[in-house]
Amino acid sequence: MNAAIDRLKGRTARRVLLVAAAAVAAGCGGGAGTTENPGTGVTPPSGYDGPPPATDDVQSFKLNLWDNVEASNRCGGCHTDGVGQLPLFARHDDINLAYEAANTLVDLTQPSASTLVAKLASGHNCWLSDAQACADIMTTWIEAWAGAQATGGRQIVLKAPVEKDPGTSRNYANASAANFAALVHGPILAEYCSGCHSSQSATSQQPYFADPDIAVAFGAAQAKMDLDSPADSRFVLKLAAESHNCWDNDCATAAAEMQAAIQAFADTVPLTSIDPALVNSKALTLLEGTIASGGNRYEGAQIALWEFKTGQGTTAFDTSGVDPAIDLALSGDIEWFGGWGITINDGKAQGTTTASRKLYDLIRATGEYSIEAWVIPANVTQEMARIVSYSAGQDARNFTLQQTLYDYDFRHRSTTTDLDGNPALSTPSADEVLQATLQHVVATYSPVDGRKIYVNGALVSEADPVATGSLVDWQDTFALALGNEVDGQGLWQGTLRLVAIHNRALTPEQIAQNFNVGVGEKFYLLFGISDVIGVPSAYILFEVAQFDSYSYVFTNPHFLTLDATQQPEGIPLKGLRIGVNGAEAGVGQAYANLDVTLSASAFGELGQPLSPLGAVIPLEKGPEGDEFFLTFDRLGHETYVRTEAPPLTVTPADLPQAPRFGVRTFDEINATMAALTGVDPEQPDVDATFQNLRQSLPAVEAPNAFLSSHQVAVAQLAIEYCNALVEDPGLSASYFPGFDFSAPPATAYAGSNRDLVIQPLLDGMMGIDIQTQPLYPDLRDELGYAVPDGTRPDNLVDRLVAGGNADTRGIAKGVCAAVLGSAVTVFQ
Amino acid sequence: MAHRRWTTAALAAVLALAAAAAGAGPREQAKRIHDRLAGVPPTEAVLADMEADVAGGNAIAAAYTAMADPAFYNVTLKNFVAPWTNRAQSVFVPLNDYIATVIGMIRDDVAFNTLLSADLLYVGAPGLALPAYSASNNDHYEQMEARGVDLMTGLQATTQSSLIGLPPGATAGIMTTRAAAEAFFIAGTNRAMFRFTLLNHLCNDLEQVMDTSLPPDRIRQDVSRSPGGDSRLFLNNCIGCHSGMDPMAQAFAYYNFEETTGRIEYTPGEVQEKYFHNDANFPFGYRTPDDHWDNYWRHGQNRFLGWDPGLPGSGAGAKSLGEELAASDAFASCQVKKVFRAVCLRSPEDAADRAQVATMTASLKNGYRMKQTFAEAAVYCMGQ
Repeated sequence: MNAAIDRLKGRTARRVLLVAAAAVAAGCGGGAGTTENPGTGVTPPSGYDGPPPATDDVQSFKLNLWDNVEASNRCGGCHTDGVGQLPLFARHDDINLAYEAANTLVDLTQPSASTLVAKLASGHNCWLSDAQACADIMTTWIEAWAGAQATGGRQIVLKAPVEKDPGTSRNYANASAANFAALVHGPILAEYCSGCHSSQSATSQQPYFADPDIAVAFGAAQAKMDLDSPADSRFVLKLAAESHNCWDNDCATAAAEMQAAIQAFADTVPLTSIDPALVNSKALTLLEGTIASGGNRYEGAQIALWEFKTGQGTTAFDTSGVDPAIDLALSGDIEWFGGWGITINDGKAQGTTTASRKLYDLIRATGEYSIEAWVIPANVTQEMARIVSYSAGQDARNFTLQQTLYDYDFRHRSTTTDLDGNPALSTPSADEVLQATLQHVVATYSPVDGRKIYVNGALVSEADPVATGSLVDWQDTFALALGNEVDGQGLWQGTLRLVAIHNRALTPEQIAQNFNVGVGEKFYLLFGISDVIGVPSAYILFEVAQFDSYSYVFTNPHFLTLDATQQPEGIPLKGLRIGVNGAEAGVGQAYANLDVTLSASAFGELGQPLSPLGAVIPLEKGPEGDEFFLTFDRLGHETYVRTEAPPLTVTPADLPQAPRFGVRTFDEINATMAALTGVDPEQPDVDATFQNLRQSLPAVEAPNAFLSSHQVAVAQLAIEYCNALVEDPGLSASYFPGFDFSAPPATAYAGSNRDLVIQPLLDGMMGIDIQTQPLYPDLRDELGYAVPDGTRPDNLVDRLVAGGNADTRGIAKGVCAAVLGSAVTVFQ
Repeated sequence: MAHRRWTTAALAAVLALAAAAAGAGPREQAKRIHDRLAGVPPTEAVLADMEADVAGGNAIAAAYTAMADPAFYNVTLKNFVAPWTNRAQSVFVPLNDYIATVIGMIRDDVAFNTLLSADLLYVGAPGLALPAYSASNNDHYEQMEARGVDLMTGLQATTQSSLIGLPPGATAGIMTTRAAAEAFFIAGTNRAMFRFTLLNHLCNDLEQVMDTSLPPDRIRQDVSRSPGGDSRLFLNNCIGCHSGMDPMAQAFAYYNFEETTGRIEYTPGEVQEKYFHNDANFPFGYRTPDDHWDNYWRHGQNRFLGWDPGLPGSGAGAKSLGEELAASDAFASCQVKKVFRAVCLRSPEDAADRAQVATMTASLKNGYRMKQTFAEAAVYCMGQ
């Protein structure tokens, strides 16, 4: 189920507020640089000794917000009664006055929309190097305050977006990597940026837009260039506004060169304009939607949280708001994942032992804990691969969540396990629970229930192999690491989209709640269709999120009107497709077969649900640049007639000429020998030999696949058949009429007597007068026929007789097998 | 020592053969027809009879004479069909009901386009003292093979519905034989039945029919849309096959091979649990409600498979899906190509061969008699 919908169905479900309002400028993108709050050297007050909180809500404000911001190295450095910087929400003299001031700065229904959060996000005196991390931490404090309010709740406020038609734009789908190489990569990026932004650099730094591999560089550079407005490209802004490693110590000139190069490249990309025949909605970008994420995760016992929102740099911030923050240092080959996350190819993300001690302190205090993570394992082949580990190396750990093939393993130190957390609790291997796709995994431990593992909201582990113990043996000197063992000897490859540690064993309901909320930033996008159906303020609503670094996911389509007086009925909608940057996406159109009737009578909390399906649509320019719209095969009275792609034309290529002959295969050889000798293939000796040899005989007809081992098997089978033929009195008498098997070889094979053996074999096995068989005289002479055209010395019969061989039947078998086991019968 | 001498003689004969592979007259052509169809050389009398037919301009009659040899059924057809009946495509598998049914259909000239839909099963004739056919094991056929029962005379037709326990409407030709179920309905997601039917009877593997432009609205929830965190894999590869395969494999929603009982299981109205494995991989994927199938390949590039315009392109259950697949041009030409390879010992390789395949395909569609196709292939490849 969808997170936002669930949220609606929960405590806030009946308070959906649909507000038609002019759009508010979002103020995203660009923005001021982040300034780290300077240390003031002021020692924070040891406590609060003013008037007591007047109400429970003031008390909640104090506990959840004020206590976190009043220190002098945070907001308390300025916004206090002592310094006097308005507003005085961190004042120490009267918590009730601070509460009054703070109330004007927070939005308890939507904490992420609070002024305090916006201020920090804009770079206003963040106490970390990343403004967004400060904003997220402030959000968690305000959420904690709001969550404590008895009347608290959330509303989803849908604002009507500014109406605009799908614009013309330049798209990378029409761009050439060669032009990029010639105009941007060669003259600028490779020249000035390859010292860091290349996989070949000794100090390599993602993204690799200056990589010598043009495909890699082009892929990495696309999000950094704005083809429609080159001056707004990140490449240009980094130089012009942020003075990031300008060459020749002249940022203005460097930025101008960069802009000119991008402009030249953009000029090679044709403009994409929307097909005027399409029936389409209005357009908007992801960031012009309403944020649908944040909140409603169960975070009551959360003591550490990494959401990986930063998107750049080498630090993943702990934004739980619980001090000390375990900020993780990223080392090795780790990439930021689009839509929040980190992808670990090699390396690790590790916190300090000092900060990690928070886990020791807070978990030992409760004696129970949960490890929660949204993960995407890169494969199902890695073993003992540490996903989340609080440990000291290979032999000592407090806890570890790891992957072994298709299993999650939970290792945990207690008085009933060893110091390395063994025996581990694992998910059942046969169930193949772990998949190389986005999964929500939670490992819980409590002294009552022991260890449990939940995947995607469901309990998947069986009983803990050991009884529960205590955490008395835990060590406070270990460090928390993600994606590896702290010593680097337990690499886990994959993507982490969120990791949280709780100092309670989450209940199944809490786990299901967090699973249903999902991960990543989601937006409600309202696609206007009023002008098509003639109903004011009518929209198709989608929930849209960046799915990974390469795509978006569209889910939960609804039809709604923001004006409650509009109650349209009976409007047909067929064939909905998602357009990106002026053209329909070429792949992933999961709503192309949609066939519904839009009706206000079907309105639910978010309008009329249209489909339970989701569509994954390729990312082109990135969430800041991609402009979406919808198209319809039919909407109301308007239709678009789609022309179908032509069927595939398969042009067969001529194959090299293959031989026109082949070898017989196993059963054919057996049947052929049976037919040519008259021996029953079910005769026990023959059948036993054939069953033994069956898979040693040729299995395919191709002559070039015929091996010497096949010939050996053929010879063995031929000997068995000839043995059966010669040893069977009736058969041998009828096959070789007149031949005296009882005479010694010198007599039996003397003169033309031998022809009584050779002639029946040649006639019976080779056939008579068949020009495609070997030449009759050649074979006859080779065997030793008595009246050859030219005597062939050292023929087969002479050689067998000359050795003093006393076995007349044996010689006959040999002659028989020489013919039966030869190409005379094996070839066809 | 003696063995080496024989081998020497055999190799000498190979060389002699290569030298003698000259022009072929009616006698040589007749021999080749017999070799290729029956897998064994003809007797002198049969060869003379066939030679006369070939010389008289009636090589097809000669081919039918060759197909009267039991080895055509016991050897050629058995090994022709065996690889279709298992995932490894091995020819070294015991005789089973899938193989026997195909052999019987060809022997009796049963229209081959009912291969994927008929309520038909070939079992050993009464009087052979075989263990009775069982839906839960293969003993009946293994005994038939072990005792060397002649498949030309020892098979007789019956219905699956009377022996396997399926309702007549749930039978779907060889797809619902016990052997096919054991190979392709076992565990997994039932996509194997679709894929191997496509491979064996339309001569296309999924890569050849990839079409990423089709709507992915029927792709099940178990298909990760971002394998390993990279949705490009899904959008460029997975989607291309699953968009067409999943809506057709839905026809098998009520089938399973139950390993513990060793028999096919059919649960009308109740979708098998395997259709919901890993349904959290992409919760916004398709959740199978029934066995309704749609042929998305009737649109887009895969129209080249030649679907029958007289059929609706959708339905419920395996039988109607089997009719849809077997009515395609691809099905007919696939049978022809397989026969061509089996008889000519090579693939069609040039324009003349392709024209012959087209002629034979048209001929097959006129009654779907496979023996005629074997005969036509043998005559085409009888040499000059």
